[in-house]
Amino acid sequence: MFFRMIRGALFRQKGKMLMIAFTIALGASLATAMLNVMMDVGDKVNQELKTYGANITVVPKENSVLDELYEVDGEEIQSAYLREDELGKIKTIFWAFNIVDFSPFIDTTVTLDNGSEVKLTGTWFNHHLDLPTGETLNTGVTNLRNWWDIESGVWLDEQAAGGTQGVMVGTQLAKDAGISAGDTLTVSTRYGKKQLAVVGIYNAGGDEDDQLFSSLDIAQALSNTEGCLSSIEVSALTTPDNELARKAAKDPGSLSIAQYEQWYCTAYVSSICYQIQEVITGSIASPVRQVAESEGAIMDKTELLMILITILSLVGAALGISNLVTASVMERSNEIGLLKAIGAKDSSISGIVLTEIMSTAVIGGVAGYFLGYGFAQIIGQTVFGSAIEMKLMVIPIVAISIIVVTLAGSIPAIRMLLRLRPAEVLHGR
Amino acid sequence: MSLLEIKNVSKIYGNLHALDNVSLNVDAGEWVAIMGPSGSGKSTMMNIIGCMDKPSRGEVLLDGKDISKESAKRLTEIRRDKIGLIFQQFHLVNYLTAVENVMVAQYYHSLPDEKEALEALERVGLADRAKHLPSQLSGGEQQRVCIARALINHPELILADEPTGNLDEANEGIVLELFRLLHREGTTLIVVTHDPEVADVAQRTIVLDHGKLSREIVNENFHD
Repeated sequence: MFFRMIRGALFRQKGKMLMIAFTIALGASLATAMLNVMMDVGDKVNQELKTYGANITVVPKENSVLDELYEVDGEEIQSAYLREDELGKIKTIFWAFNIVDFSPFIDTTVTLDNGSEVKLTGTWFNHHLDLPTGETLNTGVTNLRNWWDIESGVWLDEQAAGGTQGVMVGTQLAKDAGISAGDTLTVSTRYGKKQLAVVGIYNAGGDEDDQLFSSLDIAQALSNTEGCLSSIEVSALTTPDNELARKAAKDPGSLSIAQYEQWYCTAYVSSICYQIQEVITGSIASPVRQVAESEGAIMDKTELLMILITILSLVGAALGISNLVTASVMERSNEIGLLKAIGAKDSSISGIVLTEIMSTAVIGGVAGYFLGYGFAQIIGQTVFGSAIEMKLMVIPIVAISIIVVTLAGSIPAIRMLLRLRPAEVLHGR
Repeated sequence: MSLLEIKNVSKIYGNLHALDNVSLNVDAGEWVAIMGPSGSGKSTMMNIIGCMDKPSRGEVLLDGKDISKESAKRLTEIRRDKIGLIFQQFHLVNYLTAVENVMVAQYYHSLPDEKEALEALERVGLADRAKHLPSQLSGGEQQRVCIARALINHPELILADEPTGNLDEANEGIVLELFRLLHREGTTLIVVTHDPEVADVAQRTIVLDHGKLSREIVNENFHD
């Protein structure tokens, strides 16, 4: 009989129940959309932030110590180098998939035709790399310095014909020395002389505007440092630092075994740095703290915003459900009074009303979940230009939220229902 | 033997005495009508007898037990086990069919039995309307469903509040005929009405006025 009553209430009062289901569906859809976006936003924002450059720099350990001791630029007293043949190992660390881009650098000073001395940095622009894992990768400063404004010409591309014999000139240097894209520049050091084609003039908005960038091989040849690197810049997807990460960054040796495993297996910038140091001989990898901290702060704030929107949407749904259920109980006060008059206990009537509402909530919740997933995709495409991944964790969270919200929204109605006295309802007193 | 004893019962709302020191005895198997104009205390009396309200003063004994001080929960149980209620407005559950409306009373009493519920509907001449919703039934038919629901648990007392108030003459006749049948079977009936024709068919009529019992009329011509 209980189920006949529930069935009757649900199917013979479709309008009312659809209204409640619709409200629940709206709440569920907002919660689903926000939770999915929130859980995916970390990766998405992280990806976006990676477009602002490297967040880890790797330098020879010896130079790093000298830098710290004398607080001078390592270039002037460069006595140790990193090994070029170890570069591919960066993509073999535990968090290899979080390494988005990386590029090696070698700095030297060259003399131009007019006798002026300028800094030349050799690096990868669009370098093709066959990794030890069998994968292939195209990486370089074209990605790492994608904010450079190419004022004339194009990016240097070592994969293009003659690309390795090109050079890119900073806008300030080009202006001072009268260099244009398409010119041929003669640069010399005590180790040799090179004729380089100016493929592009870039504006980096900083000190780099006063120098030259060439392929790695050219700079190594001119500085007689074949196979050597001054530094490596790495762009990695990282998890915002917490207390554990900060403790580990100071001294990984201070961690317990469990803490060490947790830290090592989390994509903190410090654990990625540590893992890079493990594969690059004689290196010190350190986070570009400003970038890493800004990324963490932005992500924390974005997630907080999403949580607040999710909570507000659920509170809104609870208020809507509360109003609808209370209105529904008021409309049905005669029926509830009658059931009490013929012997129904308060608990039986509360049970029927709650079962009706929870059944409606299940229908609304399921519809809302799929609707919300659709909303999440719209948000993903509009804001990040990519799909939002469906997170399984959202399902139990939304289910529990809907149950709690529906129960909370039903409390005023249930309290009103328990106060109803059959004599008052049936005689209108 | 008295099924119902009301002793010096008053119901007071603020300064209003809806019932004022009323006493009444109803024997098992008796058919009593309670009459009076609007505001005379008829509905208050019905609520107290029907365990839907408690008196401010006095005692109400049902089957010899005082129910005037019982808790709301206990009154619900007494109502469920001993009393069948019939209302002027019918009060059927609008999303349940006629037979389901009868079964609801069984459900809260013991176990629903569709066959028995259909037999109850057959007794009131509605076997062919069992699967209809209240909105598909006439007023008279709805009242007969209400009577079938009141009868289904074999209550000791049928309490009807203006049972013919919303019915035409033909349906009024049908309902009163059903009451005669129930009375013949030994059911105790208390019918609250303002209609003298309905009161005239009862064995005894109690007249209330301003909350007091003003007259008691025994129907000398009573016959089932």
